[in-house]
Amino acid sequence: MIEVVNVWKSYRSGIRWVEALRGINCRIERGRFAFIVGPSGSGKSTLLYLLGALDRPSNGEILVNGQNLVTMSEAMQNLYRREQVGFIFQSFNLISNLSALENVLVPFLPRGITTDQRARAGELLKQVGLENRLDHHPYQLSGGEQQRVAIARALVKQPLLVLADEPTGELDSKTGDEIYKILRSMQHTYQATLVVVTHDRRFITPDDLVLEIQDGQVALESGAIADGSSSPNGLKAEGSAGFNGEDSPGRGVSLKAGE
Amino acid sequence: MGVFAWRNLLTRPLRTVLALIGLSVPILGVMGLFSVSNGLRDLVGETLSQIEGVMVIRENVPSPVFSTLPASLADDLRRLPGVRAVAPEVWGIAPNIEGRGMLVRGLLSKKGMESVFDQPVISGQDIEAHMNLNSAVFPRALKEKGEGRFLTLEDIGKPNIVISRKIARDFPDPQGNPRKLGDSLRIAETNYTIVGLYETGSLLLDVVIVMDIETARGVLNFAKDSISSIYVEAKNPGEYDALSATIEKANPGVDARSMNEVKANFGSLMGQVDKLLMMTVSLALIVGIVGIINTMLMSTTERFVEFGVLRTNGWSEANILTLVTLESAFLGLLAGIVGCVLALIGTTVANQFISGGVHLGVNPSLLGMGISLSVIMGTLGGLYPAWRAARLVPMEAIRIGSH
Repeated sequence: MIEVVNVWKSYRSGIRWVEALRGINCRIERGRFAFIVGPSGSGKSTLLYLLGALDRPSNGEILVNGQNLVTMSEAMQNLYRREQVGFIFQSFNLISNLSALENVLVPFLPRGITTDQRARAGELLKQVGLENRLDHHPYQLSGGEQQRVAIARALVKQPLLVLADEPTGELDSKTGDEIYKILRSMQHTYQATLVVVTHDRRFITPDDLVLEIQDGQVALESGAIADGSSSPNGLKAEGSAGFNGEDSPGRGVSLKAGE
Repeated sequence: MGVFAWRNLLTRPLRTVLALIGLSVPILGVMGLFSVSNGLRDLVGETLSQIEGVMVIRENVPSPVFSTLPASLADDLRRLPGVRAVAPEVWGIAPNIEGRGMLVRGLLSKKGMESVFDQPVISGQDIEAHMNLNSAVFPRALKEKGEGRFLTLEDIGKPNIVISRKIARDFPDPQGNPRKLGDSLRIAETNYTIVGLYETGSLLLDVVIVMDIETARGVLNFAKDSISSIYVEAKNPGEYDALSATIEKANPGVDARSMNEVKANFGSLMGQVDKLLMMTVSLALIVGIVGIINTMLMSTTERFVEFGVLRTNGWSEANILTLVTLESAFLGLLAGIVGCVLALIGTTVANQFISGGVHLGVNPSLLGMGISLSVIMGTLGGLYPAWRAARLVPMEAIRIGSH
């Protein structure tokens, strides 16, 4: 379970301060496939990075499985990132001088790689269809293949949470389809919570949770499990929204405050 | 992580090579300067090891060549307790040899710095007194490695000389061959017959032309009642330091130098030289460190995204710090090895052109020092860029690096 409670985040960009998040609230149940959508600059990636403890909010609380990321020590945050969170980036962000297998093993490099970890990394690469590319370097792989390596890297630690920032943003639509198939298959296999930032709503299905961010706040939330409790911002969605459509806020969604 | 750090260096070969050059040149400089220092130390040590007795000269002069003492001092010294033998000597820089004066000899020499050391020097010896010595350097050198004979009583007042093989080579006969026994060598306006050739192997000793003291007085225009120095042997070889003190106490204004004292003074002098070298070298090293900082700063700035990605995968600040510092330490290690190899090659080549006992020395401890120094420089130079990379907030690193 992820709970984001009244989170604010501002950062400096050049000479001005940007308020990326303005009191955001949301909740993502364990094992969900959640999408964060919204226009550019709305704060989607900032929220994603905060969920991964890549930065601390200026204000508010973020609870992941009961752990408060805001009050967590630096060492615990490192541990959290190493063991509980997997990241997938738009630009793949593989290390250029490491092979596919070594890239998957990057989380374990500082402490030394065990035989089990190596075997698991090989198995993951096999699952994403790269069993013949283990020794290839990023420049020898296509964009889709690089993203598959990144997915394997995110999953090698068997994380509770996988965070993906525009994972198909640099891929053609066919390859994007393949990547989402892999992500959904992996999520099913490993029972991880998956949170994806995207502009492309084609990949959203009716069962997914969708958080629409606008101006640093959750403008719409759809697909939340109707357990009688409202989301922290007091909004509750009916039905599922935005999938198979364009980036149009609120399409097909009705919101009832305080329900 | 070490392998990863190593690969990071190889990923940017041109930058690595340029950084290596920037760092290995100061290391080469350090090695070069210290090899010269070691060479001089070895040369003087080897020279002094051939001399046992006490050299008595006038106070506050650097060598017998610049010293003048009354000839009567020899008799005073003979009366001192513990003295076994006393041998007066006259010393002076040789006037023109075979028509070549000192200035011309220096200008014609193609030996650079070496010509400073190898100006021929005349040593006029009281032959009878020297025959009583047990530790005379030149007769022993002639016996061991030379040819001909050393000066005897029959050479008193005669223009007979003993020279080193080096001088025989440096002043060849008109056909260009080294002088041989029986050949003559013209010093000033007089021809001297070579009766012996010696070889000590020391650049500082193999420049001496040995002749009778009276003959030398004539060549060097030395007054009859004056000498330059007195070589004194003790009855007990273990009492040279005490004998020096006795001589100085009994004869104010003279300096009695035992070889132990000379060695200590030289060691102290070389210590000062080493300090000066270190100061000079420090400047070069600072430049090297600045070069490493610059290289590593460029490298880390280009890799913000990479560091951000590593942080997202659980790498701690300490891990990033270690990675970058390891890279710069490897760079230092490589530069150290390159600098040491260049120094070895350089000194080996230089030694081919330097004769007379100066041997530029790059010993294992100097190599160890060079490599250690380079690794320390590399590590120090990498610390700031490493710290800067490590303290990046992962989100910021990815954000900045993506732009």
